[in-house]
Amino acid sequence: MKNSAALRVVGQDTASEITAAVEINDFHVWFDEAPVLRGISLALQKHRINCIIGPSGSGKSTLIRSLNRMNDDVEGYSFKGSIHFDGEPILRKSVNVATLRTDIGMVFQKPCVFPKSIAENVLFGVQYVKKLSRQERLHLVEANLKAVSLWKEVSHRLHDRAGSLSIGQQQRLCIARTLAVKPKVILLDEPTSSLDPVSTRAIEDLMLELRQEYTIVFVTHNIQQAQRVADQLVFMCNGGVIEQGPKQKLFGNPENEQTRKYLNEEYCDC
Amino acid sequence: MNRSLLNKLFVFTTVTAAGICCAVLLFMMAVITAKGLRALDFEFLFTASRDFGAAGGIFYQIVGSLLLVVFAALICFPLALGTAIFKSEYLKNGHMQRLCAVLVYGLNGVPSVIFGVFGLIFFVNVLGTRISWFVGSIILAIMILPTVVLAAFHSINSIPQSYRESASALGLGKWQVIVKVLLPQGIAGSITGLFLGLARAVGETAPIMFIATAFSGVGIPGSFFEPVTALPTHILALTHQAINQQALQNAWGASLVLISLVTIFSTLGLWSRMKLKTMSLR
Ligand SMILES: Nc1ncnc2c1ncn2[C@@H]1O[C@H](COP(=O)(O)OP(=O)(O)OP(=O)(O)O)[C@@H](O)[C@H]1O
Ligand SMILES: [Mg+2]
Repeated sequence: MKNSAALRVVGQDTASEITAAVEINDFHVWFDEAPVLRGISLALQKHRINCIIGPSGSGKSTLIRSLNRMNDDVEGYSFKGSIHFDGEPILRKSVNVATLRTDIGMVFQKPCVFPKSIAENVLFGVQYVKKLSRQERLHLVEANLKAVSLWKEVSHRLHDRAGSLSIGQQQRLCIARTLAVKPKVILLDEPTSSLDPVSTRAIEDLMLELRQEYTIVFVTHNIQQAQRVADQLVFMCNGGVIEQGPKQKLFGNPENEQTRKYLNEEYCDC
Repeated sequence: MNRSLLNKLFVFTTVTAAGICCAVLLFMMAVITAKGLRALDFEFLFTASRDFGAAGGIFYQIVGSLLLVVFAALICFPLALGTAIFKSEYLKNGHMQRLCAVLVYGLNGVPSVIFGVFGLIFFVNVLGTRISWFVGSIILAIMILPTVVLAAFHSINSIPQSYRESASALGLGKWQVIVKVLLPQGIAGSITGLFLGLARAVGETAPIMFIATAFSGVGIPGSFFEPVTALPTHILALTHQAINQQALQNAWGASLVLISLVTIFSTLGLWSRMKLKTMSLR
């Protein structure tokens, strides 16, 4: 692992086994010429919960939406810099965006289930689903609903409308739907901000479990939540990264005064 | 004048206006029903007309009208869906979208007789199709296209952006998003527009009288390029012989059947819209 960004983040950790899944290098974004991200360099680590925090409007969503190129469709979007996923550059024009998005899945702030059955929602993104046998489909549905601990609650009503689930259940269904396309990285943009505390805990527990197999990039502006689930913490402000590192370091002994203030929920004028 | 008096005056005016509208409609329906019912029986509905309509029934006119609008629907539906999807998904530029809307509204404003004349010149004279029910269907399809396009466009446009984003974040390509997310909703919306369009098309005389219909003497067409008889043109022909009591009686009967068809299509349109509403509320 020669990449300097990765080494810088890893620090004195057990450097040999931890590698970066996503490397961002001097990445800038403009919306209609207005700068939104200003030279971000980051390494997001494999099989870790990489948590991005920062005040509203600091560019967290813009950053993670760049990782699966959701911003491509936004009018007025332009960028500079590079992002590599598993060593491959992903911002090139030649990259197949649809394939990239099956590798880097995304879960949004508000659960958005399709007006179909629960089972159909799980299979929604699975390509070639028509070629699978009934048995194989059922197996996929079961496995992915189990992975988000939703199987017990819904196994008897897989053909009910997904809209009949509670909002918390819907969000877990959205995660199951993302898992079903077998991504390596899962991006979650404030996935719990429309949920009640119990559902929020369920999602947090789920993330802790999922990191065994997936790389997780998680945006929140809830500092307690970051403390509960993060492995690595990135503090963003005004389109730039102020500080990044292991959670313990940022909470315990931050290098930057703004980081300390923000994490202690004091007034922070960044 | 004090405020409450003004208020009462306003209420009175609106109630009167609404009352006049309803009264005219009800009066017309009542007359047509009363007069039409006298002509209407099983035989009238299921036998061919004789004596230029003065005798016999209107079986082939009903068949002809239904044939015209069913094929108009089949032609119009995919065109309208395609236009609506093109407009909402590919014309990202605001100016182009507005231009497209203006064109569609413009088409809606064209008087129906112009469609008839256009069909006569373009299809019958230039392309040499001769008088043909299929050309009539094409012209009716073009005529109701705006209604259906607008309905489809509204329903596709009302799909929240989050559905598109969620689908494309799962790795669905643009085409797959269109087929799996937009089309189902667009189809539901177009069906409403289609029925409302058909309600209008089935009663139109001017667009089809030069190009698609004969006044008498034809049955069920054997090919795409033969004329049919249709209800509105039949009614027109019957009223030309108004001195004949039997012909007039039959005109009332045919009018009642035509009005019923319009009502059925409109009701289906409203019903499908209600269904659609409950669908989007889930
Ligand atoms: N589509 C867009 N067009 C123009 N400006 C945008 C667009 N999306 C975001 N921005 C701007 O980019 C900046 C960063 O927005 P972003 O949504 O990334 O912030 P955020 O950190 O996710 O905030 P929040 O915590 O409120 O979600 C904001 O100033 C916002 O106004
Ligand atoms: Mg955001």
